[in-house]
Amino acid sequence: MQDATIILQILWTSLATSTYDVLFAVAFALVLKVTRLFNFAQAALMTIAFYAAFVVVQWLEWPAWVAFIAMMALTLMASFALERIGFEALRARGVSVMFVFVFTFMVSEFVAYLAALIFGTWPQTIFPTIFWPATLVGNIAVSGWDLPALGATAAALGAYFAFMRFTRTGQFMIGVADNPDLAALYGIDKRRIFLVTMLIAGAFVALGMFLYGTRAQVLPETGLSLMLFAVAATIMGGIGSVGGAAIAALILGIVQNASILVIPSEWQGFLLYLFLFFAIVFFPNGLRLPRWRKFKTATRDLPAPPAAPPAESQA
Amino acid sequence: MEYLYGIVIFVGLYVILATSFNLIIGYGGLVSIAHPVFFALGAYASAILSRDVHVPVPLAMLAGFCVALVASIALALPSLRVSGDYLMIASIGFQLGLLELIKNVRFTGGPGGFSNIPPFLIRELGRESYVLLVLAVMAAVIALVWWIARSDYGRAMSAMRDDELAFASVGRDAMWMKIAIFALGSGLAGLAGALYAHYFRFITPDQFEILQSSAILTMVVVGGMRTTWGPVVGALLLEALPQAISFLHLPPSVLGPIQGLLFTGLVLLFMFFRPQGLVPARDIWRAPARDEGTPQ
Repeated sequence: MQDATIILQILWTSLATSTYDVLFAVAFALVLKVTRLFNFAQAALMTIAFYAAFVVVQWLEWPAWVAFIAMMALTLMASFALERIGFEALRARGVSVMFVFVFTFMVSEFVAYLAALIFGTWPQTIFPTIFWPATLVGNIAVSGWDLPALGATAAALGAYFAFMRFTRTGQFMIGVADNPDLAALYGIDKRRIFLVTMLIAGAFVALGMFLYGTRAQVLPETGLSLMLFAVAATIMGGIGSVGGAAIAALILGIVQNASILVIPSEWQGFLLYLFLFFAIVFFPNGLRLPRWRKFKTATRDLPAPPAAPPAESQA
Repeated sequence: MEYLYGIVIFVGLYVILATSFNLIIGYGGLVSIAHPVFFALGAYASAILSRDVHVPVPLAMLAGFCVALVASIALALPSLRVSGDYLMIASIGFQLGLLELIKNVRFTGGPGGFSNIPPFLIRELGRESYVLLVLAVMAAVIALVWWIARSDYGRAMSAMRDDELAFASVGRDAMWMKIAIFALGSGLAGLAGALYAHYFRFITPDQFEILQSSAILTMVVVGGMRTTWGPVVGALLLEALPQAISFLHLPPSVLGPIQGLLFTGLVLLFMFFRPQGLVPARDIWRAPARDEGTPQ
């Protein structure tokens, strides 16, 4: 039987460390929702973001805020290039799903090998140490990383949902996600919307990688594992639902981290692949929650009123 | 001479891998990156059965084929039940997950690898006999894929790949056809793995990582998908490339990333500038007419 304090400690730490999982899942789910692309090149963006911050802090010895700005700028530039040079060309050529998959996967692998060549294959972190000072709150140790990570993630998600709800561009993104051809008929510039989507996703990736790289060690191929987690969360959350992906990532992150209570630590990584498998086998359309907005939905589901009689019969 | 035999066997095994992968991705239109893991399953199954269970090597090799075939069905069945997109996602998870499993269980030798695998034919008939065996299997696999592609089944396969809806509307079951193609291609990869294990006699999980996925994909894309000789040309070229680089005497920490960059860089270049590969087939990357302009 585990001590309650230990369980609470693990749950708190799991909640804090699931923040970057949530950000990666939101980035992946958003691109899939709006552009309908499985963007496996997200792993490349993660690698670029991390090593940009690593160079600024460890090689140039500049402060953390410069590193954050540099990684954000470089990731946004890479997202821009990926959309304008890669995806836009692929759309114009009308290529198959297979082509897009192979392209995005190869981009990720290319960047990982490039990183391995430049930075080596041993693990790196943004700061020289990943140990943060802790404060006891009750009997729970809250590290100096936990609250800023939770705050930054909450702020980023809040800004994203406000952007989608209250700005014209956000509304256009929803329009393009629902029906790109109809959106284009209404004069929405799909090309611009796709670019904005990629840039928002890039910003989430950069923030997520800053949090991850200041808390854990990163290898050139780490991006691929982190992205697979985002894919599992996107499927479980229901493809097309960014909020669902965020909640699924939060739950999966807590389950994976808290699993240390019941399984040896060397099997924790394997859990990710079990999640992916279970997501595909049992929840291909996402986890369905009970309809708590029953009355509102019921009103919408009312049968349509009978059609007006033809003009000649009225006469 | 032993070095030369080793290269010929490597080339033969990669031709089997590339040709069987061409059956899956080229003729079947199924996207998966997990081909190296079926290669690994065949190698491990045959090695474990022959060394620890004392099964005769030819039977262990056959078991290697069967294990890869059954595992591929276990992967394809739940994924293809949903859609082809899920197979590509599941294949990444399957590849990385299975390698993680191999590293963590004791009977596979863990990350240190599995050694002292019983040899086959070499002691009795010499290394030349094993080279001939690999070349014979290679020729048989090329002939099998060539025959399938040109048979009635091959025509049904291309109909299914080009327009699945129309294919289903004439009463054919696309899902089972996909599973059959995937299982056969993966089983052949397993057989290649078994052949590998009993010649080199040592296997580690690191040999079947994502670099191998990139290498096999490069062989098929650069050589030319949906052609008989494309993967053969691709395998020959791509096997020659690492051999040429090895003469530069670079340290392994640099050699691995350079090989990876070459493989992935070549795929990206060919995809944009010569998508049909060195041995061209028709416009293989284009989506069916109704999806044009909207890759999903």
